[in-house]
Amino acid sequence: MTLSPNAALYIALAFYAAGTLAALVSLWSRERRLQSAGLWLMIAGFVSHTIWIGSVCVRTGHPPLTNLPEASSFVAWTVFAVELGLFIRYRVHAASFFVFPLVLLLLTITALVHEPFTRMDPQLRSRVFIAHLLFSTLGVAALMIGIAFTVLAYVQDRALKQKRPGRLWDWIPSLDICRRVSYRALAVGFPIYTVGLIAGVLWSYRTTAGLMELRVKSVGAVVAWVLFALLLQSYITGIFRGRRTLLVSAGAFVAALVAMLGISHV
Amino acid sequence: MSLLLVGVNHRTAPVEVRERLSVLESQLSESIRSLHAQPGVDGASVISTCNRVETVVSAATEDVIRQLVEWLAERAGANATDLEKHVYVLRHADVVKHLFRVASGLDSMIVGEPQIHGQVRQAFATSQELGTLDPLLQQLFEQTMRVAKKVRTETGIGEHAVSVPYAAVELAKKIFGDLRGLTVLLLGAGEMAELTAEHLSAHEVRHVFVANRSHDRAVELARRYHGDAIHFDAAESYLATCDIVVASTAAPHHVIVAEHVHRAFANRKNRNLFLIDLSVPRNIDPAIARIEGAYLYNIDDLQHVVEANRDQRQQKADQAEELVLREVESFRKRLVAQDAVPTILELQQRLEAIRAAELEACLRRVGPITAEQRTAIEMLSTRMINKILHYPILQLKEAAADEPQERESLRRTIRKIFGLR
Repeated sequence: MTLSPNAALYIALAFYAAGTLAALVSLWSRERRLQSAGLWLMIAGFVSHTIWIGSVCVRTGHPPLTNLPEASSFVAWTVFAVELGLFIRYRVHAASFFVFPLVLLLLTITALVHEPFTRMDPQLRSRVFIAHLLFSTLGVAALMIGIAFTVLAYVQDRALKQKRPGRLWDWIPSLDICRRVSYRALAVGFPIYTVGLIAGVLWSYRTTAGLMELRVKSVGAVVAWVLFALLLQSYITGIFRGRRTLLVSAGAFVAALVAMLGISHV
Repeated sequence: MSLLLVGVNHRTAPVEVRERLSVLESQLSESIRSLHAQPGVDGASVISTCNRVETVVSAATEDVIRQLVEWLAERAGANATDLEKHVYVLRHADVVKHLFRVASGLDSMIVGEPQIHGQVRQAFATSQELGTLDPLLQQLFEQTMRVAKKVRTETGIGEHAVSVPYAAVELAKKIFGDLRGLTVLLLGAGEMAELTAEHLSAHEVRHVFVANRSHDRAVELARRYHGDAIHFDAAESYLATCDIVVASTAAPHHVIVAEHVHRAFANRKNRNLFLIDLSVPRNIDPAIARIEGAYLYNIDDLQHVVEANRDQRQQKADQAEELVLREVESFRKRLVAQDAVPTILELQQRLEAIRAAELEACLRRVGPITAEQRTAIEMLSTRMINKILHYPILQLKEAAADEPQERESLRRTIRKIFGLR
């Protein structure tokens, strides 16, 4: 019996789906054991996901970032790795209600968009290109984490202001921790994303003799960068504490997704 | 072996009785030793808190109960007959259930309070140190500590504050996380404000400023919290540097108004400000609640938090009770299974002796054989014995779920059939 090259991907997807379901049910049932079970299922999925990414690297001979399914999978992997680190550091359960579905969504995109794992055109391969892929993907992952914690901070702020603890009250850490994690993710992610974007522009100039093609992907990436900057600036100056920050976050999230959906470099 | 618990608590005895029975921390060792020295007592421990004094013992018979009541009466300097009406006696599984509930905070006056866990652990540690725990009590206390921990972690029963000062501290933690490094401004010296300041100090806030109309009183309070007394009229200028403000003055008007907070925020670099207004009439302008970054809670808001938390604790207590029941049943089964161990061992030894003797006799008759042949015959006989023993042993183990009489009858039957003494 021969195993499908994507077996690890489907196993990861199954674990992520089960983990996300357990986490969401625990939000209603407030059952701690279910929440822990959800996390362990996600970790099992993460292990399988890592194996799949490794296998793609071996098969194609380049980092798994050259098309939509690969990039989507890598963002999901990075987002979960960071979330796991934050969980270990801050014991933030609530982030899982946003991060787990996001990871599941991104990996579902990978599984649904069947693109063949082809070796990249050698002419396109360069250090600038690899830097573009790696930095912009890491930047997007940081942006996602920043947004998730911005949402948590907003929910916590509203609960405290309205004196009505909602369902997430027990799972969310303090307002200070939410804002600190969000700020750090944005502050670290923004320069990385900027470097990724500049590398992309340079690579585009070298390969197509133009600075940028006006494609949905490029527009999405630039809009995401502007909103990323706006979010970071709002944290530095302390403005946009409420609903507006949330709107900017939602815009940045959509723009980053649009940019990712247009990825195709093979 | 009987497991017994004799004691009084806040539901069965008034404070006048409990205070006479109560065992100070310094007297705990002596009390446990004295209890253990009672005739007929195999293992002993004493749990003493402000709400209960309980003796937990294991003994060969239940005859020691009267002795335990007399021991308690002697300590209280009372007549055993008079004390009897306040005393409860628990036996076997009821002792297990009671200890699990006590250590989990389910039997406490404030359900889920965390101190009791430490007090039971202390009784356990002291008894262990003194060597007054027999294997049964040792197992019981070990399991009690495990169950109490499980109840706390799985249900989160102790997580929600059920007093106003503690609720204020919990809210402060929801805003700032770690309270270390924060600065508190205490406006006025009401009783509730003092309690809140005490709770905050216990969380190692960096500094406490106290402002009161009577400066002498402010100095006295500031000394207690290792802080500084400031003049009441200068309090507004401290808003920019403080993180938590607790107001409890007798002033009939707002002492802090929105304008003060707006001014303070200009110099706060976006740091949040938590304002707790414990006074009636209110001392802090309610309009401040609309300012971004300012979180204002008055006495009613805190009361609502406490009430909601009480309801939540009750729900969690129901979950905890179910968990305790499951743990009691599993502990009971474990004890019963252990009870069957001597019979199982004797059974195995008896059949092994028969097997060895018969094998030896058979090999003598057969004459010289190879090592492989000998191993094959030995394996055959061992397998036969194991198969013969399988069902009797299984029955003995599964009898854990049966009534004690049925269990005993089965044990006797098996012993009779296999000729055990």
